[in-house]
Amino acid sequence: MPETVSSLAVEADGLHKRYGATIAVDGISLSVPAGEIFGLLGRNGAGKTTTVELIAGLGRPDRGTVRVLGLDPWRDRVRLRQLLGVQLQDAQLHAALTVVELVRLYRSFYRSPRETDELIESVGLAGSRHVRFDKLSGGEQQRLSIALALAGRPRVVILDELTTGLDPEARRQMWSTLESLRESGVTVLLVSHAMEEVERLCDRVALLDAGKVVALDSPAGLVRRAGFAQRVRFRAAEPVPGGLLERLDEVDRVRSDGGEVVVEGHGDLLQAVSVALVRAGVVATGTRVERATLDDAFLALTGRPLDREEAGR
Amino acid sequence: MKRVLDGVPATTAVHRPGPRSWGVLLVSELKMVARDTAGLIVPVVLPMLILVMNASGAGGQAVAGGRTALDVYVLPLVFTMVVAMTGIVNMPSFLAYYRRTGILRRLAVTPASPAMVLVAQVAVGVLQTAVGVAAAWLLATLAFGARPPADAGAALGVLVLTTAAMYAVGMVVAALAPTPNSAVAIGLVLFFALGALGGMFGGQDGLPDVLATAGEWLPFGAAAEALSLTWLGHPVEPAHLIGLGSTVLACGGVAAVFFRWE
Repeated sequence: MPETVSSLAVEADGLHKRYGATIAVDGISLSVPAGEIFGLLGRNGAGKTTTVELIAGLGRPDRGTVRVLGLDPWRDRVRLRQLLGVQLQDAQLHAALTVVELVRLYRSFYRSPRETDELIESVGLAGSRHVRFDKLSGGEQQRLSIALALAGRPRVVILDELTTGLDPEARRQMWSTLESLRESGVTVLLVSHAMEEVERLCDRVALLDAGKVVALDSPAGLVRRAGFAQRVRFRAAEPVPGGLLERLDEVDRVRSDGGEVVVEGHGDLLQAVSVALVRAGVVATGTRVERATLDDAFLALTGRPLDREEAGR
Repeated sequence: MKRVLDGVPATTAVHRPGPRSWGVLLVSELKMVARDTAGLIVPVVLPMLILVMNASGAGGQAVAGGRTALDVYVLPLVFTMVVAMTGIVNMPSFLAYYRRTGILRRLAVTPASPAMVLVAQVAVGVLQTAVGVAAAWLLATLAFGARPPADAGAALGVLVLTTAAMYAVGMVVAALAPTPNSAVAIGLVLFFALGALGGMFGGQDGLPDVLATAGEWLPFGAAAEALSLTWLGHPVEPAHLIGLGSTVLACGGVAAVFFRWE
């Protein structure tokens, strides 16, 4: 048989999944090359978790195919489980077992697991080795759950809401863990609500809405789809004459937000706006310049803002 | 050979967790049970209580071969209750709790097979049962002068088969119950139904013939009667063994088909 080398770690083609009357996933296709950190971003109910479950072999798609490292996550699950690490959102662990007991339990399932102490230290839990799972803080539970996902030296890791519930320091620590995973060639599928995390870590991002991929690009590429590059906000002492800013070449859109005037545009936007205001004799205070973000891209692409507060299916 | 990624052939050898892993899982489940103090009351304290309430009266009634009503009726009933209670009520509610909190789902994405988790649960449950039976036996012997079964080997065999049957019933409950609460409810209903038909609330004489016969074939009645016979040294009736054996097979099969991780 010819040796065909495919560099795709995850391939999903036309996935459909329905739960009762709800269509959770409606024709999702993705391909993730080996070694990439790939983000799945979307609102609650966008189908992120269902997609991840289909990829992890926790469910079977009604239609469509998935391959992870060339294996069918359902049919070849015994083989795949050795190569895939999964951190599930909201999954509890044995409440009465300690950190070290849980790490020993989970690593025992794998053929060539990482060392217990190394795993515990890699997520900064060395001081809580003998603390029961139910006595850990939310952030510590989360970190333990990530350590368990990495216990078997996986080739592909799925992390669902990686840093939800982590304090900023723990979050940065997780990010550096992820970056070192990338260096070792591990493919990471990251489900997230945290724009900052996605922008910083992900090579590419699939933006999901209502069970469909609405955009798939690098974070920078997605941001470009926001339709503007930057935004200037200021407060004006008196009303800005109509059409004053709209006439400028650099300006794409002007709107008011609370008491603030918001000007979206490109090029040397701040300069153009300031000059126009000075010439018209309008005094502006509290002027700020913001770069367009993934949030803006999300709004532009789906017509609604991303709900960051809660995590969900 | 088809290769997928450098070093990961599509034909990666199938590797299932080995005996060491089974051991670790078993010890983990044991620790869970040992650290759940309230959960130990049912298999250990309850049977002793039942024994104390019935022993003084029954200990004086001679039946045959030097055995008293305590030996021939009370002890078989108490042992059967211990096994049925842990198997049909306790174990499924533990599993249902694991399912609701996502522990089973989390294990489902590791190489641990469903069979591993179920077997570990059963093994731990059996140990609990053994402790409960041993405690009741010790109490009965030391405090009330109970005598061992005339045919101890047969008694042990029946007890093992009973345990398998009750746990198979429990597995069906665990597989079919949608929530932890419903697991407890279904388990209790089944426990009392099997118990009532099997003579837990007194003889089956009061039951209609059809129910009495059914009760004798169903695991509770079959177990209690078979144990009773071993105490007297009589051969165990095939009907009881068939009843228990077919429960193991039928319920084990149903549980294997319908068991869910979430």
